[in-house]
Amino acid sequence: MAEESIRVTVDKFSFLFPKELSYSDAGVWVAVEGRRARLGLSDFAQQRNGDIAFAKVKAVGTQLKPGDEFAEIETVKVNESLPSPVQGIIVEVNAALEEAPELINQAPYGKGWLTIVEISDWESDHQHLLDAEDYAALVKDQAETEIK
Amino acid sequence: MPELPKRKVGIIACSGEELPEGTVTRLAALRVLESLRPHETVTICLPLFLAGGEGDRAFARFHPTIAVDGCEKRCAARGTEMYSGKPAVSIVVGDSTLAKSGGLGSGRQLSEAGMQLVNSVADQVARHVDELLHLDWDRRSGRALGSSHSQDQSKARQATCSCGSGIPVQTLQVSGREVALVALPLIFTQFREDGKPPIASTKTELVKAVKVYNPIPDEEEDAYAEEILRAFAAFCQGRG
Amino acid sequence: MKKERVLIVPCSGIGKTFGTVTREGAYVVTEDLCPNETKLVPLALLVLGEDEARATLSGARAIAIDGCKLACAAKVVGELGGTVAHSVQVVDVFRRHRELKPSGIAELDENGRKLAHALAEEVKRLVASMTEGTTHA
Repeated sequence: MAEESIRVTVDKFSFLFPKELSYSDAGVWVAVEGRRARLGLSDFAQQRNGDIAFAKVKAVGTQLKPGDEFAEIETVKVNESLPSPVQGIIVEVNAALEEAPELINQAPYGKGWLTIVEISDWESDHQHLLDAEDYAALVKDQAETEIK
Repeated sequence: MPELPKRKVGIIACSGEELPEGTVTRLAALRVLESLRPHETVTICLPLFLAGGEGDRAFARFHPTIAVDGCEKRCAARGTEMYSGKPAVSIVVGDSTLAKSGGLGSGRQLSEAGMQLVNSVADQVARHVDELLHLDWDRRSGRALGSSHSQDQSKARQATCSCGSGIPVQTLQVSGREVALVALPLIFTQFREDGKPPIASTKTELVKAVKVYNPIPDEEEDAYAEEILRAFAAFCQGRG
Repeated sequence: MKKERVLIVPCSGIGKTFGTVTREGAYVVTEDLCPNETKLVPLALLVLGEDEARATLSGARAIAIDGCKLACAAKVVGELGGTVAHSVQVVDVFRRHRELKPSGIAELDENGRKLAHALAEEVKRLVASMTEGTTHA
């Protein structure tokens, strides 16, 4: 994945952003597979927040508009509500997170995915998302001040 | 491509639990990071060197470090040298007069004298941070570069993208041998974006930027400058 | 039956609150709860991997206490040939005590101190399970 990712290094921290994904400024990545979008937490967001102790994803069947909370995570640093970057309906959640929320830290773009949404207006959603390069530029400044 | 990283100083405290001096190292390092020099320093976890903290190792290879130890075993200094590079500064808290006079409390709970020592060590570390950020520093030997200091380039350790820092390295031929210069492509990119042409008047500024991240022996500076300028010209040409 | 003390090895990580919780928890175990059954081993001493460090670990069983998933304490003890009888993660203790969200690195807040005590109580139970029927050197 490293060859297809953008890497941002700030001090001792490195963050990877796969180029094939889109990102919301809240740190949620989106991978579109046909009419479905898989959502997860970006490498930067998971490192900034720290070890995830609890993760709660909204149930299958939940209708989402952009900005609606689709998941909550809790770490020693934060309780964070994650806003949906897409509109649609949740069709699958990552059940493994119930027992092992640390998967989000260990494999944010892999086994740590959060949910799958059947999307209804990707064209519109996509306009509000960033590509990896723009997202990397956005988080670099945040990382300089927030990550220690 | 990553941007040219800001130069910072890594602080590695032994954090030994058994002696009050170990706790002094920990609290002094945190005081520097949180209060005295928050924008200039990064703390590095000593155990991570062994347990495989790539980011910590890469940072310490690229930036100068200050090791703060509680006792003569100098675990932080020796561990840093073993897994990354020689610290630019090595402080042993137990050597200070205040520590020798005793009464620091315990590892778990420092006394008032122990807290005084924390402040004193933190101030000492902060002074070293200031010095290091204004010096040309050799990350290989852990020494400041001076006119009498010679470099053994054959022992050079190359920091490359694969070290985990993501910082690119470019190799040049200088005086008939290969030298690896950290961050050179980034420096070239920045100069080009600033509209600086690859001409003689740019050379001094270019070398100054390279020296922030790389040791350049005084006696070879002219040779380095020529090759760096030549490489910059090739870089610009390659990009039209 | 006489047995070596259980070694308590906290990571004492300096970058996160949980690192300080491991440190404080280790003090509580070795000084307050099980002073006769345990021995605190500074991880910094082990990092160099010298003979003295290997000798400390040789023949003893350790409880590694880590503040993050990188598990430095458990890894270092393991790499030096020590026996990690139990590997304790602060985040797991926090999951069992969600109300104790700690803060502070140089100094823990009240929740942090309480979490360190909760951690220490868990370690104490592990020590007890390891030392039943033994007397300590």
